[in-house]
Amino acid sequence: MRWLALVFPDWPMQALFRNPSHTRPLAVAYRQRVCALDATALAQGVRPGQGVADALAIAPDLLVRPKSPEAEHSALREAAGCALRYTPRVVLESDGLLLDIAGSTRLFGGLDALLRHLRSDLAAAGFQALSACAPTPRAARWLARATPGQYLADDDHALAEALAALPLRAMEADASLLALLADSGLRTVGEVMKLPRDALARRDAAGLRRLLDQALGQRPDPRPYFEAPPQIDSRLELPVPRHDSDVLLFAANRLFNACCTQLAAVHAGIESCRLELEHEHHPPTVLTLTLGTPSRDARRMALLTREHLARLALPEAVGALRLKAAHWIELAGRSDDLFGPQTPSPARQQEAGRLLIEHLRARLGPDRVYALSACADHRPERSQQQVEPGPGTAAAVQGGRRPLWLLPEPRLLQTIRNQPWRAGPLELVSGPERIESGWWDSDGEASPGDALRDYFVALSVDHAQLWIYREHLPPHRWYLHGLFA
Amino acid sequence: MSPVVPNGIPTGHATLDAALPGRGWPIGEMTELLTDCSGQGELSLLMPLLAGAEADGNWRLWVAPPHLPGVTALAAAGVRTRQLIVVRADTVGERVWAIRQALRSGVCSVVIGWLDRVDNALLRRLQLAVREAAIPLILFRPLQQAQQASPSALRLQLSARAAGVLRIDILKRRGAPANQPLYLQGTRFNAPSATVATRCAAPPALALALIA
Repeated sequence: MRWLALVFPDWPMQALFRNPSHTRPLAVAYRQRVCALDATALAQGVRPGQGVADALAIAPDLLVRPKSPEAEHSALREAAGCALRYTPRVVLESDGLLLDIAGSTRLFGGLDALLRHLRSDLAAAGFQALSACAPTPRAARWLARATPGQYLADDDHALAEALAALPLRAMEADASLLALLADSGLRTVGEVMKLPRDALARRDAAGLRRLLDQALGQRPDPRPYFEAPPQIDSRLELPVPRHDSDVLLFAANRLFNACCTQLAAVHAGIESCRLELEHEHHPPTVLTLTLGTPSRDARRMALLTREHLARLALPEAVGALRLKAAHWIELAGRSDDLFGPQTPSPARQQEAGRLLIEHLRARLGPDRVYALSACADHRPERSQQQVEPGPGTAAAVQGGRRPLWLLPEPRLLQTIRNQPWRAGPLELVSGPERIESGWWDSDGEASPGDALRDYFVALSVDHAQLWIYREHLPPHRWYLHGLFA
Repeated sequence: MSPVVPNGIPTGHATLDAALPGRGWPIGEMTELLTDCSGQGELSLLMPLLAGAEADGNWRLWVAPPHLPGVTALAAAGVRTRQLIVVRADTVGERVWAIRQALRSGVCSVVIGWLDRVDNALLRRLQLAVREAAIPLILFRPLQQAQQASPSALRLQLSARAAGVLRIDILKRRGAPANQPLYLQGTRFNAPSATVATRCAAPPALALALIA
């Protein structure tokens, strides 16, 4: 047992829609004929090969989409990227994958466990696969197509027996050739195997013999392995354009899960990604998801998306979603993947803090969540600035006593009988502290009075301590600038 | 009556600690500070809680403070301002949401929120969230809300008695009710100091000339 074959049934449809959450029957058509359909459509009597007009007559609310080779191509790469997590040797087929799992079965705790993990990864990305195992890639593929669920051990006799029992259509060969064989009364692969070589050659079917030899392991069958491009660009269509964020989130989750599994396969993470919501008549709505730290956490992406969606006004219903993520960053696996959560380390706490900040920002706006740091400027307005929250201590600035509350703008105080007033006279208890720096950067138009102030600590009638100042130059107005809270 | 377990975080004020059932700010509970006036020492009361040489990665969150926090004063009190996340939020809904996110994140060592009008249903949600988070949650609320019933474990009414004296009325606490107000003398950042006329730094050009 060396090769695991995965076949995605109704691939043209899976590739487009990824098992959407919907109730309407779906079909994909190629040249006006149904080539793939879902269970709902099948139950209503639609059949593969039917003309689109016939199918619509049978199931009037059937949604038909044209087959999209580009969507199949990129979805297959995405599925392959997920499979890379289980083996570095993945081969692309037209509607499936081949995985060389000789080296990794034991690592994942046996074939059953490996299959279970692989299936759940694929299901999270919206893919469903049939599978089979065999010593050769071609045999595995044929088994998965015709009689999935067979996992053959490394035994030539058993292999030949299993292949012999397969129906002719399991062989991936020219359709007209298979039809010719069927017309000659052949029904199983075993019967073809029994034919003498020259008999096959006479029927222009020498190629068929080569395929059989490869399936039996009697002829080399080299395959090119898939290599993951270091970027993600995946797209998913919604059967019907939708507004509701639950549906959008469900679909986005498919993309996030696929993205994160692919990242895990190459031990990488991303710091940000773009989720484009495509509309029919408008340019796409773009959500930029900033993760804060390199990560491959699909839940985190979903959380941010939820906040964005709650805030956004979409111009129109969304027809398709597209996820783009470049700039992969190497990200070692974390030990808690293996041993469960551990006591939070400072680094983990920092990362969780970043997550909280990005989460708050996604809903409230990026400029409304910040930390503060001191600046080397003695003017109170410029003595501090908004900074990115993070480790480290703010440099302490020397100076007089400063209040815990600053007003963003000094507030003009009433003056009664030459005394500053706020619901009563203010009693000056300490000061003045003259602050006169800052005239050198006032753009040449020197107005030193701007920053020339005498600061006092004052006591109000309700026993509050205020930080007030008087302009040094006439008209000597009084301002409230802070509160000793 | 069961013996009181001192499981609070010491407030840094012995008089207050002695009056609190947990001998400090309750953990996993809401504390309400009801006050109408800024500048009476209400924030200084919390400085010992916010200060302390805590490890990196221990965040403190202020949701919707009414004014700009003064970095110089905070730093002088020993607060790491780079680890203090300030969140501006306008509506009560946003504020409560932000507080709940912070509680749920498990990275904050204390969360302080300023709430104006908030109904009991929202408060109860906060109460549930803080119980899970097991940190102190301090809410500043206007005085008129003192009449409203509240699920908070501790409610303190703050007012100034005289310059630098903070009067604390314990409206609600676990255990026996308190009927005496407390007076905290000269909390550290509110006491007037001697007059200092500071001449501020010389302009950079001049400073360079001096060094040369």
